[in-house]
Amino acid sequence: MIRFEHVSKTYPNGTVALSDVGFSVAAGTIHAICGENGAGKSTLMKILSGLELPSAGSISINGEPVRPDSPRAAAALGIGMVHQHFSLIGSLTVTENILLGQEPRRGPFVDRAKARARVLDLAARYSLDVDPDAKLATLSVAAQQKVEILKALSRDTRILILDEPTAVLSPPETEELFRRLVALRESGLTILFISHKLKEVRALAQQVTTLRAGRVSGDAPMSAISDDEIARLVMGEAGTSAIVRPEPQSAEARITVRGLTLRARDANDRLDAIDLAIRPGEILGIAGVDGSGQRGLVKVLTGACQPDAGMIAWDGKSVAGANTGALRRRGLAHLPADRFRDGGSRRLTLTENALAGAHRNYRFGPLLKPRAMIETTRGIIDRFAVRCPGPLAPLGALSGGNAQKIIAAREFGSNPRFLIVDQPTRGIDVAAANFIQDQIVALARSGCAVLLLSADLDELLRLSTRIVVLYAGRIVASLPNDPELTPARLGPFMLGLEVAA
Amino acid sequence: MIRNALAETALTLAIVFVVVALVLVPLAMTQADPVGVVTTFLFGPFKSIRHIGNIIELATPSMFCGLAVALILRAGMFNLGVEGAFFLGGLGTVAAALILPLPGPWLAPAALLAGAVIGSSVCVVPGVLRARYGASELVSSLMLNFAALFIGLYVLNVWLRDPAAGAMVSFKIPADARLPRLIEGTRIHIGVLLALAACGLGALYLFRTAGGFESRIAGANPSFAAHLGLDVARIGLRAQILGGLIAAFGGGIEMLGLYQRFSWQALPGNGWTGVTVAILARDHPALVIPAALFLGWLQVGGDLVARNFDIPNEAVGLMQALLLVTVTAAALTRNPRLLRAFGARSPGAAR
Repeated sequence: MIRFEHVSKTYPNGTVALSDVGFSVAAGTIHAICGENGAGKSTLMKILSGLELPSAGSISINGEPVRPDSPRAAAALGIGMVHQHFSLIGSLTVTENILLGQEPRRGPFVDRAKARARVLDLAARYSLDVDPDAKLATLSVAAQQKVEILKALSRDTRILILDEPTAVLSPPETEELFRRLVALRESGLTILFISHKLKEVRALAQQVTTLRAGRVSGDAPMSAISDDEIARLVMGEAGTSAIVRPEPQSAEARITVRGLTLRARDANDRLDAIDLAIRPGEILGIAGVDGSGQRGLVKVLTGACQPDAGMIAWDGKSVAGANTGALRRRGLAHLPADRFRDGGSRRLTLTENALAGAHRNYRFGPLLKPRAMIETTRGIIDRFAVRCPGPLAPLGALSGGNAQKIIAAREFGSNPRFLIVDQPTRGIDVAAANFIQDQIVALARSGCAVLLLSADLDELLRLSTRIVVLYAGRIVASLPNDPELTPARLGPFMLGLEVAA
Repeated sequence: MIRNALAETALTLAIVFVVVALVLVPLAMTQADPVGVVTTFLFGPFKSIRHIGNIIELATPSMFCGLAVALILRAGMFNLGVEGAFFLGGLGTVAAALILPLPGPWLAPAALLAGAVIGSSVCVVPGVLRARYGASELVSSLMLNFAALFIGLYVLNVWLRDPAAGAMVSFKIPADARLPRLIEGTRIHIGVLLALAACGLGALYLFRTAGGFESRIAGANPSFAAHLGLDVARIGLRAQILGGLIAAFGGGIEMLGLYQRFSWQALPGNGWTGVTVAILARDHPALVIPAALFLGWLQVGGDLVARNFDIPNEAVGLMQALLLVTVTAAALTRNPRLLRAFGARSPGAAR
């Protein structure tokens, strides 16, 4: 149905994102595209959805050559895209978001009743239920994704592109999404599915195309290819990391949390009498469906807001009232879930992003030492294998995964005593994810107390010493991470079906 | 880096010439001497030392105000109070020069300092309201300008007014307080050196000190600054105070450099020019200097055309407005293809 022929893309700054890519996608299938960060998956999809134009090559749909030069043109061809970073507006309602740019009108006015009806109709047709009147910002990430999918489907869509759709979802939400996607395929849609996660590709796709360094490295039906082969095609080498569970190095807790309560309108922030203890050298994993209070826990522990009740102590001493700056001076480091909103600035250079916060260590009298800062950044670039034009390039010039490495390097390099890592490997490729996980483990081994929040249960089970499950702002289970602990065992707790203190 | 900056400058100049050609040429065709109109506008300002002096004396307050706005914008704040700060800074400086019983060489610095502190209040008050209560500094600073104007006029009328002068103007500024002239035949005064130094120091502050870096982080992404534990409200307020001091200092310099008495009856408009300068300079303190000179050149060239030909002042104003719009249009000046045509390299590739 869709055919890529000799598609190449060279960016104005000389980066070759795609070269001579050619494969085809059969109608009514789910077709997976796998590849590392910077392999060209997103660029290819941007070309198909009209956000970028190819430098060379052609695309045809049903034999007709097409060249979408805007998302609107792509939509007219029946192509809809669900972005990894949603293109939604938080202050608008679900209905307004879905129909943005194609509102039904009555005279010069938007026909709200008709708009609402259209969204309900759309939701019913694809059985993706959403509240058409809810303000987007109040929804959980999973619900926002439904809105994004409906938005992509709202214009007679025949081809749906999903870029890393499960990166932001918890396992039950992922399963839910997969059921929806299968139903969509059965209704005749063609789905292009971009993922790092082989398990998901295996569960969903009929055909897989692998990209490596901008070229097609493999293209096969799923039935004819093994996971190992896919991994090899993606990475050029097979690689899985062993399970590590760092041991606590002291009986004394570094971080103690007692009765922590945060009352908030948003379920993401709500906390109800949380008790935690994290010892030096230990990685405490937090599991839970998205919106179970993880965000509130991070906010309170990082000093971004103060709890309504309860206390937090570092080395047995209360840190009530301490703000982020004060906690950071005590040795807090925090890798935020949304790296680009909170963790860096695309406009500042790599050097500035990598050393922000530590910059006061690079002073000579009243001035900063730019050479020393650049040298340190070069070291980080080498050590973390960051693909970039140089230490003075703006962060925005890097691909998502490489930019995330810079941000992680900054947090890990501050010699922390307490590290909070929130979805540390979301949206980055397997090699980089392994590297980041190794860094977290190394920090724990050097005596740092680590709080790991992750929607990826494999990651939690591989790294954590203990796992605490949050549900509706409460701790419903606190389990030692022994070999009996499996995703299946955690599932009922995460869904609130079971409670074990 | 330099190469890219040069390419941007070259592109900007090219745009200027295109716009001049589009607007000025048809206008000039209505005149007996069309070539004269165009050359007067473009080159007239450079033909005599007096006119060059005019450019520089116009650019001096624009540099101070442009620098003030640039520092505030870089911290992610906005403040239209620079206009009021400039006005009140001028008045405060004159008042201090009239009142303070200081010996000659101390008078001007002391008066300027007093004026800077008094004038900066127009920026500081909205800054505090923003930091404390989250009030929009855009609205409060805009409104406060008029409060500053009328308080200033009241003070002028009641305490500083010279009854012997015909109009509502202050007593004569003591000769000791006036700034020395630099070049014979012009009104260029020592203030221009101070303005240049201020822009240099501003660039140094912004790009080479911890405080300036923190202010750029807060301006680039406030959530990022908060994540790092920086006090965003305080950084914003610091920028407002700094900007207010610089703008008010510029007002004082303007008074002591060019005026015999304080004679402003309305807001002088230099603060608004400062906003334009900062936008032209893309909030870069060092680029404030050419931006201010460019605006000075436009002004002087326009004046010359209006004075010597039968072209109304409004037509000149129209062209100046069009120039500003096109020169600041990011779609033109940030266009990677155009920039490459003028010799820029791709971002980051230089190192």
